[in-house]
Amino acid sequence: MAALNGWWDDYFWGALVIFQVFFCSLGFMIIFGLLGAIAKLSANKLAHKVANAYTVAFRGTPEILVILLMYFGSAIFLTAVAQLFNPEVKFVDIPPFWAGTIAISLIVGSYATETFRGAFLGVNPGSIEAAKALGMSDIQTFVYIRIPEMWRIALPPFGNHMLSLIKDTALISIIGLNETMFVAKQAITVTGKPFTMYIVVGAIYLGFSTVVTLSVMGLEKFGERTTAGVK
Amino acid sequence: MIVDFTLIAESLPIMLKGIGITFQLLIISGFLGLILAIFLLLMRISGKWYLSFPAQIYIYVFRGTPILVQIFIIYYGLPQFGFIRSSILWSILREPMGCAIVALSLNTGAYVSEILRGGVLAVGKGLIEAGSALGMSAYQKFVYITAPIATRIALPAYSNDVISLLKSTALASTITIADMTGIARTIVANTYAPYEIFISLAIVYLIFTFILQKLFGYTEQYLGRYTKREG
Repeated sequence: MAALNGWWDDYFWGALVIFQVFFCSLGFMIIFGLLGAIAKLSANKLAHKVANAYTVAFRGTPEILVILLMYFGSAIFLTAVAQLFNPEVKFVDIPPFWAGTIAISLIVGSYATETFRGAFLGVNPGSIEAAKALGMSDIQTFVYIRIPEMWRIALPPFGNHMLSLIKDTALISIIGLNETMFVAKQAITVTGKPFTMYIVVGAIYLGFSTVVTLSVMGLEKFGERTTAGVK
Repeated sequence: MIVDFTLIAESLPIMLKGIGITFQLLIISGFLGLILAIFLLLMRISGKWYLSFPAQIYIYVFRGTPILVQIFIIYYGLPQFGFIRSSILWSILREPMGCAIVALSLNTGAYVSEILRGGVLAVGKGLIEAGSALGMSAYQKFVYITAPIATRIALPAYSNDVISLLKSTALASTITIADMTGIARTIVANTYAPYEIFISLAIVYLIFTFILQKLFGYTEQYLGRYTKREG
């Protein structure tokens, strides 16, 4: 354990990066998932096809490939664009943070698409009819009836998606994100204790997963507070 | 942006040379992981705390940490200890391939055992009672009633896990293994053409996912042949 002295603060900042990636990608993941679900449920054939292609492509490709493609692909594209204006530019890239965040939220968003779609289909048709009978507009029905009913159905699988997001953060270290994996690599070159260093990384991720799992359990309880005796 | 088709035509056969490694990783770790999963499952449903508790801890740790961290702990971390380097295990852990197989098996075992447990818990109580009424022993009930039905119930979720195992094999490229992704990364490092290489490789993975899904779909139909209702 003595080898860890002096590295705790680096691990702390690395963990903070995991936290930031998690929150940003969580937001994007919900957006991609909702867009995908709405497209899949819409009557528009083109939207349906695009959403299907999205889920098939991102659920079937290895995560690391998507991350590498997002980072190097965007770098090539941006460099080409920059060279149009200034031929002396050699290399432009999106920061690994954003390339990675977008990549993992696209991946997990494709899983969330299916979850949200199922949850929207699981909303009780009687509730929708009741809303119509009360003269609610489509938007009101969506906000006050569909969303509050669907998030409870979606929550357990959604918790798993959040865990995937946390764990996929580790992959972003491959394109040079300065998170705990990266800290461990640096620490190993100095101390020569790879096992100790990577175990700390594992423990940090385990801590994050535990917090997410417990929060989802709490949210599930909160969601059931009004329906507890109904069944 | 011009897509370089000759480059794709040239590098696709080179990438496909890694197919053997990808399949070795998939099949060997899938098989070892399944055996581990069955052991973990038996420990969890044994009803004895000193068996089920360690299994629970194991599953919690391996599902709560990223597979990349697990691979790195095994490949970079374990040689830190002298006793591992002098043990019999060293002949496996010395090779990156051995490490990748060990890591992937340990990881997938934790996930699969939860899937199998879901299947076992979903077996109808009435069937097991019927077994008791017929005077079957606990062993007979498990082998002749619980196991066949649980297998059928767990299969759809298991097929998803095999697909995510296929995607995880791509991570073996991070520990110098020349699987399809590893070769692709070398080609991209030389040609700097991420779009062409990574997208064509993604399509290769998509084709394999599709084939796996079809295979499992047929198996599901076969196992469910008695459960279909006539007319």
